[in-house]
Amino acid sequence: MSIRHGLLALLSSGPRYGYQLRVEFEASTGATWPLNIGQVYTTLSRLERDGLVAPDGEDDQGRAVYTITEAGREELGRWFSTPVAQTDRPRDELAIKIAMAVAGGVDVARVIQTQRAATMRALQELTRTKRAASGELAHRLVLDSLIFKAEAEQRWLDHCEAVSKEKNS
Amino acid sequence: MTVVELREVTREHGQVHALRGVSLRVAAGELVAVMGPSGSGKSTLLNLAGGLDRPTSGSVTIGDTDLAGVKDLAALRRTSVGYVFQDLNLIPSLTAAENVMLPRELDGVRAGRARSEALAVLAEVGVEDIAGRFPEELSGGQRQRVAIARALVGERRLLLADEPTGALDTVTGDEILQLLRTRCDAGVAVLLVTHEPRYAGWADRVVYLRDGRIADSGDVRLESAR
Repeated sequence: MSIRHGLLALLSSGPRYGYQLRVEFEASTGATWPLNIGQVYTTLSRLERDGLVAPDGEDDQGRAVYTITEAGREELGRWFSTPVAQTDRPRDELAIKIAMAVAGGVDVARVIQTQRAATMRALQELTRTKRAASGELAHRLVLDSLIFKAEAEQRWLDHCEAVSKEKNS
Repeated sequence: MTVVELREVTREHGQVHALRGVSLRVAAGELVAVMGPSGSGKSTLLNLAGGLDRPTSGSVTIGDTDLAGVKDLAALRRTSVGYVFQDLNLIPSLTAAENVMLPRELDGVRAGRARSEALAVLAEVGVEDIAGRFPEELSGGQRQRVAIARALVGERRLLLADEPTGALDTVTGDEILQLLRTRCDAGVAVLLVTHEPRYAGWADRVVYLRDGRIADSGDVRLESAR
């Protein structure tokens, strides 16, 4: 997940201080990926080193304020116009587990059903959270992203079950 | 409070066992989703729960009534059970309001009262403004709302929905589930058959049918002791 670009996006609508960036980041994503203040400051100092943000003095309460640079705006534009690659995903433990179950003498249907029940519980939980988050569009869309991913996993499990059943009959 | 209960229900069609010993209970205010591959018995389960079909063995109870002792299932269905199907079944020559009035009029309710009930339930599902339009003049989502209104009219406490999001896009599908959920939270028992996990996610409980049985999710067993 790109905290760098998330912070640049927030700074593109005006100068902000560290804590403010953390709060706004979490508000947009519904705290789906909590951010600690240390990560915010580390990221800001790297962005400053790379010339993408610049210190902009202090506000009236003495908090260090950052502003986005022209290079930062260009970098942000590039980020929004570049699709995210599929290859960045880590090894998928579930796919490995099912593959091993099929290869070894394990009851694949059981493994699938156990996972399906767990993924469905997660899906029910996400749906409840979404129902409660009626206001914020950005937050709801982040939850939808997780819902669609859980749904894709359920469909893949159905597929695994149907195919491994054919193989056995 | 249990609205519908199936006990050890089996349904055979000749040599085919559509359901084998299924027990399921849905309480007032509860939304239960039924999932499973095609041919797993989902629609059979829904038909038995709503009294559209009778079990080969086992019992089905709606409210306090064991359906085995009911001669006129159609009358019981009209007063207790609402159905929503994928292919809407709205009557094309009747307006939205007339479609919703129909089951009440069949029950002998006077037209005036049936009409005011229909308008009230159309308002509840958010489509009172299209009451006078014909089905072909409505969007897919509006038609499904009218079908749900028809399923709810007359205080029916059990709503059976078979793929109610059928051909709808995901935004409209979510709206339909939100609507079912709201009715459920108001005390209706809902049994939903769906093959789409995202809609099953709205349920309080999700039941998987496999070869006519409810699949449980116990511990993983090794087939061989190697």
